[in-house]
Amino acid sequence: MPLQFEWLPHTLRRLLAKLPPAVADELEEIRIRENRPLEVGYGGRFAFVAADGTLSADHGPGYRPSREDCRALLEKLTDHSLYAVEEELRRGFVTVAGGHRVGLAGRTVLEGGAVRHLRDVTGFNVRIARARTGCSAKLLPELLDVAARTVRHTLLISAPQQGKTTMLRDLARAVSAGEWNHPSARNWSGRKVGVVDERSEIAACERGVPSFDLGPRTDVLDACPKAEGMMMLIRSMSPEVLVVDEIGRAEDAEALREALHAGVRVLATAHASGLADVFRRPVLAELAREGMFGAYAVLSRSGGRVAHRVYGPEEAEEEARRTARRPWSAPRDAPAPAQPPEAGREPALRPRPLPLIRSPDRPGESGGADHA
Amino acid sequence: MLKLIGAALVLFAGTMIGFVQAARFAERPRQIRQLIHALQRLETEIGYGQTPLPDALRRMSLVLPPPLSGMFADIAGELRSERSSTVNESWERVLGEKWGATSMRAGEKEAMLRLGASLGGSGRDDQLKHVRLAVLQLQDEEAAAREEQQRYEKLSRSLGVLGAALVVILML
Repeated sequence: MPLQFEWLPHTLRRLLAKLPPAVADELEEIRIRENRPLEVGYGGRFAFVAADGTLSADHGPGYRPSREDCRALLEKLTDHSLYAVEEELRRGFVTVAGGHRVGLAGRTVLEGGAVRHLRDVTGFNVRIARARTGCSAKLLPELLDVAARTVRHTLLISAPQQGKTTMLRDLARAVSAGEWNHPSARNWSGRKVGVVDERSEIAACERGVPSFDLGPRTDVLDACPKAEGMMMLIRSMSPEVLVVDEIGRAEDAEALREALHAGVRVLATAHASGLADVFRRPVLAELAREGMFGAYAVLSRSGGRVAHRVYGPEEAEEEARRTARRPWSAPRDAPAPAQPPEAGREPALRPRPLPLIRSPDRPGESGGADHA
Repeated sequence: MLKLIGAALVLFAGTMIGFVQAARFAERPRQIRQLIHALQRLETEIGYGQTPLPDALRRMSLVLPPPLSGMFADIAGELRSERSSTVNESWERVLGEKWGATSMRAGEKEAMLRLGASLGGSGRDDQLKHVRLAVLQLQDEEAAAREEQQRYEKLSRSLGVLGAALVVILML
């Protein structure tokens, strides 16, 4: 399905329509900054867009959106109604039709030390959402709890932009439609799925109806805070599987525990570059230690493909301990640790892997570190 | 004979002119009132429903009789159209084009234009303030329009008839 960009103002839409089809198909980000060259990210690379739609790694000829462009863009993105997206502005993003999330940067207006409003918005980052129906076909069979005929509590982990939300969306669809893709699950039916879509990214609801296919047995609570939404769904919609995006706050943990005791399975995602990071984030670590999650799926992307690896709870802890780097655990003045770091632990000290960035005129050459 | 027919025609035309004038005087406060009701509806849509502006304007147009309904439907349509401009631009353009078809005057137009300049561009509380301000201004205009109506409605009607009669007498 070609991208429509109907949420962009006329000038920008006409410009982006001139992008080569190969780029348009792989488009991941559009970065619009006032008076600075227009940038697009596609297939792990980035390039600047000139006024005639050609791409180059050099920012010189890039089209520079004017003040009017940015003002029209903000109006269009908010559907001419800033008053209806106040809460989103405070959090720094809006979601447009199609589930694309637009991050905003500008000048914040504070009230009592808290961000009350964003004004002079001059930086936009459009993250293109794509439905990849069937992308979870390989992952789902590994997450099954055969005895209970459902899925295990699962935490999907990856760094940003590696396909967590896309994977989660397709998992929800497959569970809801009963596409378990596993020999012993051949006669299982689909499960009732409840989605708490705090950022309107998973379902991309338009007037309450999901615009992505989430399967026939899915209820979506749109734009609802996760913790509260999970409780609401459990109380009112009797889901068998709960799907939430990006957990990490204390109240999320509380709601997850509640779900666990209500006999509901949870599929959740978290930002982390690896299992070690999960065990270092306070809320996630606590949940993990309580044995909340039955499976950890670590996603990583290289080129256009998303690879995954599933760990059980014990394996995960083991793995986390093995790769843990604890920069703060040994105070500088304290006596040296009993065990000096051995050669075997060297790889863990590598810098955090960066997403693949290639310049467009040198295709195939990888500029970043490979994904572990 | 021909003179008599001519006199009758003049009399008829004069009377009609008077009636049309009177109708304009009567129509103006009514349209202002309708506009106030519509704006109060907009206030609810913004304040309670947080409805996006194009939808809110469309709903406003549904409760209004023509010619006012056409105005807001046009603005809503333009905002949702392929090459949409900003609220302020569409608002000014449509009001400029269609204001002539209504019985309202410059004072009301001024208040509405001022509202259009800020609509959609700020937070909820601020929007409500602007809408209420516009309503207040319209209420003032309405009071003035009613006074004018009382003073001039009957006057213009009889003036039409009498003026025509004068012309007929002079002609005869």
